[in-house]
Amino acid sequence: MICENCGKAQAKVHMTEIVSENEKREHHLCERCAEKLGYTIKQHFSLSEVLASLGAAQLAAREAQVPDVKCPSCGITFAEFQAAGRFGCAEDYDVFSELIEPRLDRFHDSTQHTGKIPRDGDRARRRGARVRALRSQLREAVEKEDYERAAKLRDEISRLGGAGDEVPGRSDGGTKP
Amino acid sequence: MTLDELVSTAGGWITGSGPDSEVVVSSRARLARNVASFPFSTRMSEEEREDLERLCREAISRAKVASPGFYVDLLAASPLDRKLLVERHLISREHEEATGQRGVAISDDECISIMVNEEDHLRLQALLPGFAIGEAWRKIDAVDTALEAHLDFAFHPKYGYLTACPTNAGTGLRVSSLLHLPALAITRQIEKVFQAVARLRLSVRGLYGEGTEATGHFYQISNESSLGKPEEEIVKNLEAVIPQIVNYERAAREALLRKDRSRLEDRMGRAYGVLRHARVVTSEEALALLSALKMGVHMGLVNGLAPGTVGELLVFSQPAHLQKREGRELSPAERDAIRGAYIRSRLSGTNDN
Repeated sequence: MICENCGKAQAKVHMTEIVSENEKREHHLCERCAEKLGYTIKQHFSLSEVLASLGAAQLAAREAQVPDVKCPSCGITFAEFQAAGRFGCAEDYDVFSELIEPRLDRFHDSTQHTGKIPRDGDRARRRGARVRALRSQLREAVEKEDYERAAKLRDEISRLGGAGDEVPGRSDGGTKP
Repeated sequence: MTLDELVSTAGGWITGSGPDSEVVVSSRARLARNVASFPFSTRMSEEEREDLERLCREAISRAKVASPGFYVDLLAASPLDRKLLVERHLISREHEEATGQRGVAISDDECISIMVNEEDHLRLQALLPGFAIGEAWRKIDAVDTALEAHLDFAFHPKYGYLTACPTNAGTGLRVSSLLHLPALAITRQIEKVFQAVARLRLSVRGLYGEGTEATGHFYQISNESSLGKPEEEIVKNLEAVIPQIVNYERAAREALLRKDRSRLEDRMGRAYGVLRHARVVTSEEALALLSALKMGVHMGLVNGLAPGTVGELLVFSQPAHLQKREGRELSPAERDAIRGAYIRSRLSGTNDN
């Protein structure tokens, strides 16, 4: 089809003009004439922008789906994290990993640690999780005034190295200054 | 040493020594660490905070990481003492203003400070004079390794060291240099530098960290991201950028000298004159004039004054330092008069120029 305005170039812009309720007119223009006549086509969007906005929308949708998820260890919800900007305990990174990863990626440009690793690796964290669980039991026992149980829990916590006592099985941990 | 002795010593980063010290005031490396067996700060009971503090204090003393040194219980400390530690760059403003059981272990040379119960359980800091980011990192790395023998840190195979705020996760490392950039500010090139710095994903802050104004043309430049790159790479990145900014500042100072030497000398002379003779000096005025004087001394435009003296005055003329020296709280008006007298006494006996 040839452009109806210049009669030379290939018509690439096809429009339907609505003149009145019953009358419609078809127009076929080449790109140059379409621009000259003011029928410009905005091409400001880019694929990456569309994908990014889709990503943000998906993220928002995913976040909206899990407002009730609570960390079993510290009790924080994702909404509470969002409001405070701070996590409640080490477990939260696993509990909310799906939600936190896009944020980590946006801020750090990465979601994978490289660099220093403690000698004990992540064993310490797992040991710590046990102590934290005992500690919340201890709080309950104190609230219920079950002092016998509280004393037992306190012993167990200090045996695991939770407060004041050295971690068992460490040869270099016990020298006094 | 004790906290009270801080006002009569000028050790650590205040000495005004160190590499590139005419532009780089100090360099810092800090690590954020959390003890695995406790919840993060916001979710701890007061009893747990006390337990954690005891555990950390004992680990610090056994590992001998801030030794010889002293410990300050910040809950028991007076507001003035807390302010003093902020002015000395030994604790953060957040740590000063927080509530509850918390403290800081400080080495006598003021190089190492370990904040306990901050936003993270531990914030380990090494602070050195001049451009010494690499050395600061190596020092704090050693402190961390020594503490690790006594404390279980929360570490995740994927996310690295776990922190209360995910922006610090991974290495938990922030390295920074405090730069004095008056010539770039006078020649209106500072914005360009900041834009370049931002493109490199580094951040610029004022004298006392996040959200503070860059007064006296002092700027802190630090890495933003802490996850995904090994510590050495983070350190190297900043080690590559800072010297370029230092060179821009040097070039700007030289350009000022060439273009308008007499105006520059006039500026220095006026600053020096006011500081030597004024009776009432506000802290803003002191900072602005001492900033000018600092540049003048380093450029050789002010004779008979050691760079270290100006560096000391910048620290010691701050409100908490003045009040601590006087041994009491002062009203702002009293403070300005005492500041004037203090600066005058420190600058008298220096040669006229």
